[in-house]
Amino acid sequence: MTIPGHQDRAAAAELETGPQPQPQPQPRMSRRAALRTAATTGVAVTALAATAGPALAAARPARAEGEDHGHNVAERAGTDPGEPIIAHLRDARTGEIDVFRGTSRVRLRDPALAALLVRKSR
Amino acid sequence: MSSHREAPEISKDPVADSTDVYAFISPDQPSTVTLIANYIPLQGPAGGPNFYEFGDDVLYEIHVDNDGDGYADITYQFRFTTKLQTPSSFLYNTGPISSLSDSTWNSKQFYSVTRCDSGGTHPLGTRLACPPCNIGPLSTPDYEAKLGRPAVHSLPRGIKVFAGQRAEEFYVDLGSIFDLADLRPLQSANVFAHALGLPNQPGVNATNHLNVHSIALQVPISQLVSHGKPTIGVWTSASRQTVSVRGDAGQHPVGSGPWKQVSRLANPLFNEVLVPLGQKDYWNTQRPAHDKQFASYVAHPELASLLPVIYPAIPPGKAPFAHLAKLVKSGKPRADLEAILLTGIPSGIIPGFTNFTGPVQADMVRLNTSIPPTPKSSPKYSTLGLIGGDVAGFPNGRRVEDDVVTIELRAIAGATYPLVAPGYKVDAVVAALTDGLTGASVKNKPLASFPYLGVPYDGYHNPS
Repeated sequence: MTIPGHQDRAAAAELETGPQPQPQPQPRMSRRAALRTAATTGVAVTALAATAGPALAAARPARAEGEDHGHNVAERAGTDPGEPIIAHLRDARTGEIDVFRGTSRVRLRDPALAALLVRKSR
Repeated sequence: MSSHREAPEISKDPVADSTDVYAFISPDQPSTVTLIANYIPLQGPAGGPNFYEFGDDVLYEIHVDNDGDGYADITYQFRFTTKLQTPSSFLYNTGPISSLSDSTWNSKQFYSVTRCDSGGTHPLGTRLACPPCNIGPLSTPDYEAKLGRPAVHSLPRGIKVFAGQRAEEFYVDLGSIFDLADLRPLQSANVFAHALGLPNQPGVNATNHLNVHSIALQVPISQLVSHGKPTIGVWTSASRQTVSVRGDAGQHPVGSGPWKQVSRLANPLFNEVLVPLGQKDYWNTQRPAHDKQFASYVAHPELASLLPVIYPAIPPGKAPFAHLAKLVKSGKPRADLEAILLTGIPSGIIPGFTNFTGPVQADMVRLNTSIPPTPKSSPKYSTLGLIGGDVAGFPNGRRVEDDVVTIELRAIAGATYPLVAPGYKVDAVVAALTDGLTGASVKNKPLASFPYLGVPYDGYHNPS
């Protein structure tokens, strides 16, 4: 026995009101890639930290008007120079790399560095 | 159920899983508001040897919106740290724990509280002690006097805080409701139960004798409201850092990156009952200000369409939800539910009452702080809150004893639709709609003073 007359709700709703809201695409963190990159590309990541400091600071997002205070204040907190830096190579073809440090994340586009990470992680 | 294990992903991460939010004028301190966020659902009290703790790697927050835009104007952040007294012992405690600083207590947890607002961050307290879990009469004798009450800390500016284990005060017949929407007191009318010949029965409180971990704050009203706007919106969230890397053997994982919200909660049952399964995890990542995208699930709740078919006409009786079925079939949006859950109730609908915060649709517990608490001795006091004629109860905030399951069941079944459509005739069965539980279904009762949630059940006597 099934619930009588209970048809596919999404399909029924679309018929009545048009497409239902769908989840917005969320950045997918590949844990495996992050682990692999963090574990095998220490040289590359260290060099990145040494050379890209100003770029990282400049890329840190400012607090937008109307945003919650809690998260943004936490994210703007200072970083500890000794804390780990973790790089996630999102797309080797475009060189898109996320770099995580403390509570910040910056997104770089550096095909040369991406190629180096790919080579070193093999 | 209020929000226990309500979404697939968060059900696998209990320390970050929010279960209930309460916001009410403190009955014994009416110049203050008490805000409570519960986490770690369905704790069996005998859950040793590693008893329950908050996540050291989780950012817990209680948010307050005081201008109606669905964004937090004030956020209280809580961060926890666990310290082992004797790492060489496998025991949680090496003798009776007679105080919060007792050396016999091996695994202690401490926390910090920070207020974030437009003025920046304001540390309110650091190294505040949590109480241990209630283990049993040998390990945690005289629990409340020696461990529970001393864990209520006074902070600057007249604030009180508590974080630790408490008795689950939310009552619900989980086993029945999620067995094809069965309500035991009415199950002879449930099409599936009827087929099995099940008679009507009393409800069973599935959360009785279980504990939760509570974060409770008592804050002067003046520190929460903005000038001329007495209604605040409240919710909680838990966040984890974007990346976690497991280190070498024996090392703790390394967290890095921005905090990502993995759980949130305001009105009970919102994500649990209204949001469809395929969107629940996504809903948990969103902020109330963006809840317009979920408004259709409030305006056309699936449960309202199910009730008439699960409880159909069983000859010789009539269809118990005939009026609700017509309402659902009409396709009219449930403006009553949208007001209750997403905007607050505008003035002019219920005489002398409003908790409207504006047109922004946002799931928040809305508390009009200008409405005084109703004494339990008053004839106006009702755990059915607004639908019971008590404007100091849910959905005007939420008190610990409020029977939110019954209130929301009845509201979804049409009890509140006449607020927006005075000609609508509510099905007679709605007045009897219940899972058969009341506050009397909870063994460890709420306390009369902060933190109001009852003494946690100990693992020696529960289960017994």
